Amino acid sequence: MYKYIIRRILVFIPMLFALTVIVFGLAMAAPGDAISGNELADPNVDPEVYEQQREALGLNDPVPVQYWDWISSAAQGDFGNSLVYNGRSVAELIEERFANTLYLGLFSLGITILVGIPIGIYSARHPYSLFDYGATGFGFLGLAIPNFFFGLIAIYLLSIHLGWFPAQGTLSGPGQSGFNELSDRIHHMILPGITLGLAGTATYMRYMRSEVLDVLGSDYIRTARAKGMSDTNVLYKHTLRNALIPIITLMGFEIGVLLSGAVITEQVFQYPGIGTLFLNSVTNRDFPVVMAIALILGTLILIGNLIADILYSIIDPRIRYD
Amino acid sequence: MRLKNKWFIFLIFVLAFGLFLAACSGDSASEGDAEEPEEGSDTEEEEPASDEPQMGGTLTGAMDTAPAGVFNPIFYEEAYEANILDFTHESLLSQNDSLEFEPHLANDWEINDDQTEITLTLEEGVTWHDGESFTADDVVYTYKAMSSPGYVEAGGIRTEYVVRLLGYEEFNNGETDEFEGVVAEDDHTVTFKFAEPNVTILKDVNFPIIPEHIFGDVPIDEMTEHPATLNAGEVIGTGPFKFTEMLEREQYILEKNADYWKSEPYLDQIVWQVVDQSVMLGLLENGEIDFIGDPSGVPAPDFETVDALDHVEIIEQTDFGYQLMGFIMNHRPDSQVESGELNPDEWIPNEDMSNQQVRQAMAYAIDRQAIVDNLLHGHGSMINAPIAQQFWAYDEDAATQYEYDPEQAEALLDEAGYEDTNDDGYRETPDGEEWVVNLNYPTGNQLREDSAPIIADFLEQVGIQIDLRQPTEMTAFQENLTDNNEDWDLYLLGWSLGSGDPDPSALWGTEAAYNFSRWNNDDSEQLMAEAMQPPEAFEQEYRSEKYSEWQAEFSEDLPALLLYAQNKIYAFNERVNGVEPMPYSFNNDPELWWVSESEE
Repeated sequence: MYKYIIRRILVFIPMLFALTVIVFGLAMAAPGDAISGNELADPNVDPEVYEQQREALGLNDPVPVQYWDWISSAAQGDFGNSLVYNGRSVAELIEERFANTLYLGLFSLGITILVGIPIGIYSARHPYSLFDYGATGFGFLGLAIPNFFFGLIAIYLLSIHLGWFPAQGTLSGPGQSGFNELSDRIHHMILPGITLGLAGTATYMRYMRSEVLDVLGSDYIRTARAKGMSDTNVLYKHTLRNALIPIITLMGFEIGVLLSGAVITEQVFQYPGIGTLFLNSVTNRDFPVVMAIALILGTLILIGNLIADILYSIIDPRIRYD
Repeated sequence: MRLKNKWFIFLIFVLAFGLFLAACSGDSASEGDAEEPEEGSDTEEEEPASDEPQMGGTLTGAMDTAPAGVFNPIFYEEAYEANILDFTHESLLSQNDSLEFEPHLANDWEINDDQTEITLTLEEGVTWHDGESFTADDVVYTYKAMSSPGYVEAGGIRTEYVVRLLGYEEFNNGETDEFEGVVAEDDHTVTFKFAEPNVTILKDVNFPIIPEHIFGDVPIDEMTEHPATLNAGEVIGTGPFKFTEMLEREQYILEKNADYWKSEPYLDQIVWQVVDQSVMLGLLENGEIDFIGDPSGVPAPDFETVDALDHVEIIEQTDFGYQLMGFIMNHRPDSQVESGELNPDEWIPNEDMSNQQVRQAMAYAIDRQAIVDNLLHGHGSMINAPIAQQFWAYDEDAATQYEYDPEQAEALLDEAGYEDTNDDGYRETPDGEEWVVNLNYPTGNQLREDSAPIIADFLEQVGIQIDLRQPTEMTAFQENLTDNNEDWDLYLLGWSLGSGDPDPSALWGTEAAYNFSRWNNDDSEQLMAEAMQPPEAFEQEYRSEKYSEWQAEFSEDLPALLLYAQNKIYAFNERVNGVEPMPYSFNNDPELWWVSESEE
């Protein structure tokens, strides 16, 4: 098993290298650069000034040279400075937002699992009941409603009109600490968390339902029942373990997805996270930021998948790696 | 095996718990709560609407995008940072509502006869937010920093203010350490010296001043990373408010500078809240935010909704800038695109678009008033000359008006030889070939995007076949517009202008990079040069005359049809008083803003 993990981690290196080459190539192939910005240049600024800045930032160098400059410092852990956020270091920009994305991601994953899986199991145990139909209806609705729309409705109803939740941001003000900050943060996370988790909840619910139904109908469950095992035991000892395997695959992907941030949700709630930063950096051609985020996300997705693979072998002893 | 699994799960559990604890253990000992017992002002018992300004209170403003985070006047680039810096930093002069320069940090000035030198007397008793006194050395330092070698490389773009200073070249090249351009005569007198007679002398000395005692020893290339540039509480200016705290990308808090040299500000605090455009109005309605100022303002389609709110007041004024439909009149040859040079002698005229009659016909064919009325819901104006309407130089009457007149358009096209010879409903070129005019436009401005198909439709109605291209991102659009415009005919674009001086040569001079039409007109060149020619141009009346002539020339030759100038719509809660926006900014004299705590 340890050998397997080490082998997998070694494979990360060429994969991530290929990732940087591809993303860098794409970033460079896009027309325009960071200096031309996302809006038009300021007419009061001499274009010569912009040209000088291009030269100073090395944007006029050939692409392979630029790539070499980037990768040689990135290999030493230095992701350079943002081209757009005047001189601010990439590490700082990402760090600032990563925590936000992490909190929100975990929060919504928590909602997804705590709500989606139990409902799925219940639905499977009582298929075609009123509850099951209700849950199915909710599932389709959850999948069908676009995030931004649900978010806006939630803001209008729950925060603007009823005032139960704050509409925007991660905190109500700077300078808080301790428990106050934590509760304020959670308070701010509820609406975006639900918005972000809605589609996931629906997906998990549907998956869980069909998996549990599937397993419940299999021979070994019948055998277990036949030998007089209690329903609870059948469910928790035999059914769930087997039903969880596809869910784990889903979660492996989910880690990457959640941490890549949810651009739309972040936008609607003005929740400063990685997603918005990534999108803005792409439109602004801020390639040092784009590269750093791509690299981080790539690594996280690989790790997520690795964790999922390891969890398989824990949940299902039939799966072994050596 | 089982044992191992349990172990593993236990490990995960311990890790998760540890993480949870780590997240919680932000020092809970220091309960520095931000809530202060406020409400010092509701002692005024029975007068609900008192006209006397009251001390105290907090205002919350909304902007739709967070500032990039560079709170240094010599390095910032965006309007979002300006929303902070307008409150914290000040210039020697300010502009009044007719754009004349007025005393600010400098209370008096004297200009020599050939306008090569200006000596300003600074206000005494002005202090920086940290208590140090503001002196002429700070002024010298600010201009020196912007002139120094490496300023542009470090990310600065405001060289416009320093290039005309005496000895700029030598100092900027590093040939000398002596900076001759700005000299402190004594603590409160400073002289600016220019290499040549300077027509825009007052504009050039009007730049926010930064403190020498903070930045004096900081190398220019480290200034953008300096704490006094980045961190709330460390940004030091002379303005009526101090930038004290921020929640990065969410909230920016300005606290009053009780020692402000003009008068103590009425408000305790101004909070900028970053709010998504889609919920901004909702928050204005329920009172969570008090005002919407620059740069977004209230979108024109929402005007009625906001206007209908009882507790919200609106100020509407013309924006500095315009949207245009340009005609690509000339192309640069490949060699020039390659080298980036602009040499009009080798330019290749763009067939059809280089024909003045065709351009004028298109101008008559487009009902711009309808665009203003329907797309902007009337919150804008139609202009015919590319100078901001607020300027003394703008002359509506000098320009050709181009009222909507499709018949005139058809007549002009017929006259130019563009007729429909094969009865397909579209006009052919004078040579009888198929004539397709393409229209390119960028994304990023919803109104402009919406206007493109409307414009195409108007043009098709007079028989011009239009190829409406897919819009592209502004970055890509601009690159294409600059370099690869071989098959481009029409383009949509917008400009925001500065309020300092109306000189249009940076946009419409033949060799100006931003002259994307590649307009090459000797009369225009001459008029623009004359309008900036000392010593005659020291007289505003003379310049005004020249600009009138120029506007006539522009609108006749028509390198671009000006579509509309949008209005800025500012909205604020009625409890806000004393707000008097300048034509160029909402943030004016915030020390005079105050709130009346109305009956709740």
